[in-house]
Formats: sequence, structure tokens, C-alpha cells
Amino acid sequence: MRKNRLYRVLGLALLGFALGVALTQGQQELDPYKEAERQRELFRQTAGILPGELYAAQGEELFHAKRGPKQVSLEACDFGLGPGKLEGALTQLPRYFADTKRVEDLETRIVSCMVRLQGFKPEEVKRDEVKALVAYVASKSSEMPINVVPRTSQEIAMYNLGRELWYHRAGDRDMNCAICHEAYAGRKVRLSPVRSPRQGLSNEWPAYRFEADKLYTLQDRIAFCYESVGIHPPDYYSEPYIALSMYMLAEATRGKNRFTEMPGFTR
Amino acid sequence: MKGKRFLLWFTLASLLGVALSQQTPFQQRVSQAIQSGGPEFQKSMQQDPDQALCSQYRDKLPAELVPAFLERQRKLIKYPADGRLMGDWKKGEELFTNPRKGNCYACHTGDPREAGAGNMGPGLVGYGARGTSEAVVKYTYDKIYNAWASMPCSLMYRAGYHGILSPEDTAHIVAFLLDPASPVNANLKR
Repeated sequence: MRKNRLYRVLGLALLGFALGVALTQGQQELDPYKEAERQRELFRQTAGILPGELYAAQGEELFHAKRGPKQVSLEACDFGLGPGKLEGALTQLPRYFADTKRVEDLETRIVSCMVRLQGFKPEEVKRDEVKALVAYVASKSSEMPINVVPRTSQEIAMYNLGRELWYHRAGDRDMNCAICHEAYAGRKVRLSPVRSPRQGLSNEWPAYRFEADKLYTLQDRIAFCYESVGIHPPDYYSEPYIALSMYMLAEATRGKNRFTEMPGFTR
Repeated sequence: MKGKRFLLWFTLASLLGVALSQQTPFQQRVSQAIQSGGPEFQKSMQQDPDQALCSQYRDKLPAELVPAFLERQRKLIKYPADGRLMGDWKKGEELFTNPRKGNCYACHTGDPREAGAGNMGPGLVGYGARGTSEAVVKYTYDKIYNAWASMPCSLMYRAGYHGILSPEDTAHIVAFLLDPASPVNANLKR
């Protein structure tokens, strides 16, 4: 009789333990934010450095090296706060630049400086170098408030263009950005939580994506979004990216959002 | 021969001219931006008239436009040649799951054992509680084949209309949702 009860108690305890293990493991797998945090810690422990920091270090070297036909560095590149001023530069991009007479995001601005200052031909500009430079410049805006407020007529036009693309339904999945990132913001596609721009969508890019083992800039991330809904992504540095970035970051500004650690670390 | 070809090009060019002149300056600016993304992007951003309408009204169609919209969409629905709207639930499960086909788990639960289901759309566990009357089967079929025939501009895409699911494929997914033997309905008492 006593033995029986002991077995029963033991059995219950075992069951409870197994259930606990099952539940916590399930949660670990199911919460993408916690999983990203865990992966980030593992990188810190084993490598001592995050992949995003490596990209930024590579970008720092490229930034200060005398390169291109004109053999100059990018130190004179003006991101909107004055030549070579990188502190907080990302927070106010995209913006209008008088020298190129157009609205540019961080990626496009880097290409402009490589062409205008260093003398590269546009077709010579390597995507990997731009990405590393993006990581470096962005690292100087880590955790800062986003501050994109369209003011000039060109910036307002770019914002309106972005909003139009945001609602443009196309492709054989009948998609646009808004139908998920606005109408259903706060819910999940598969396991991925979906945010609206007001909720800070776009505040983690450029970021290292551990699931892809690659650095994604905001343009890369927008391209990935288009691809996943069956639309061929735009060419890099083209207007759709600048317009959508302008729209999302201006809305993120209205929602009083900050950038995450830069470069970000995400799935 | 040469004259004929010229006439063809002339007609095409003037048609294009008319089409372009109907755009507002802002619409022209949007087209120009899309064009700057490259020919393949431009091609995949082309809209059918109802996609354009949904974009124009930010996915909230004014009430007076709804009846005609639904009517147009209903006419796009095609049915299997043999008239059977409920196929094989096992084939339906594969089509429901496949990201290149239905990709339904992106937004819906189905088989409750699938842990990674999204929740953009309503959960479908126990969907078969509705029974398999002709009306239920047809409603389900129509919804999957062309979601915009019941809800204008909804997030759910028109899988049948776009040819991602054939009429037969659609019938298999109907079975996955309604067949009492399907894992979707494992929780229902038999």
C-alpha cells in the first residue's frame, strides 16, 4: 500500500519534470526574441565578438583607407551632419543632399561618396564593401532615437512615394507591405512577430541574421521581404528602397522608437 | 508588309500614350520609381485592376464599390471538371503545408501538432465542426480558390485565380479542412 503510493508520487514527479522540460524547450524554440538573445550570448561566449562587430571593424578599415583612383579615404564624406561626422549619422537618414540633388539613404550615400570622393565608377563599387561600411557608420548610432522627419519638398515627395509603394498590391500572392505590417501588426507569420513602422519596424537594420549567417542592410531586408511574397526585388540603390526606408523610418520616428544595438543581431 | 508593321507600332505607341496621359503626375512619378528598380521588379509590380483598386483605397474598399468587386471576383472561380469539391485530405495536407503552394501555416493553424503556425488568419483547428453540407463545402472551396470573392482586398491571396492551386488542388485542401478523418478535426468527437 505504502509502496504503491510512493510509486505514484514518484510517477507524478517524473511526469511533472518531463512536462516542465517539454514546456521550457518548446518556449525556447518558439520565442524568436529569446532565441536571438540566446544565440547572441553563445557568440559572445565562444568568439568573444559578435559577427556584426566584425563587419563594422572591416568597414572602419575601409572608411579610413586611401582607396580608389583618387587615393583618398571616406573621411570627408558628409552624411548630413558635416564631413566625417558619424555620431548619430544613421538616425537622420534618408535625407536630401544638395551635392547629389537627391534623397539618399545610408547605402546610397556611401556609394555616392565612393564615386564622388574616391573616383570609383558606380559599377566598380562592391556590394560587400558597401555593407561593411554601412555596418561601421551605423555602429555610431547604436541605441539612439530615430530622427527622420521629412522637411524639404524632395524629402516629403520621397515619403509620399514610399507610402504609395507600401500599399501597392501586386504579384501572385496579392501582397503589399501594409496588409501584414499594419492591418495585422502584433500577430505572427509562422513564428515571426510582425511589427508596424510605428512600432519600430526597421529599427534593427543593418543586422547580423544568425539564421542566414549574413549581414543584412535595410535594403537587403526589404529585398528579402519582396522575395518572400513572390516579387522580384528592385536593383540595389534604386528609388523604391530609398522611398520605403523614408516612409518606415519617418513613421518609426513618429512612434518615438530607438535603434537597437547597431549592427543589430536577429534571426 | 512594312506599312502593316508601322501601323501596328503606331497603334501600340498611341495606346501607350493614352494610357500614360491618364495617369496623374503623382502616378507617373510612382511608375518612374518602380521603373528605376529594374525591369524584373517593374514586371512583378504590375497590377490587375482590382489590385490597383485595393491599393488606391488602402485595402478598405468603399461600400458602394463592394458588390461589383465581389461579382468580378466570383466570376474568376473555376471548379474541377468532375464537379467534386472535396478531394483527398492527405494530398490537401501537403498542399496546405508546402510554402510554394498553399503556404497556409504562415497565417493559420491546421493540424494542432504543427507548432510553427502563424496567427494572422483565424485558427482552423476543428474547422470540420461545420459538417460537410453542400453549402459549407462550396463556401470553403470558394474561399480558398479566390479569397477576394468573399472579402475584398483581404490579406488572404487568390491562390486559384493566380494558378498557385488548381481546382483539384483546392478540392484537396477543402478535404484537409472538412474531412472528419483529417488531423485538423482530430479534436472533434466522432
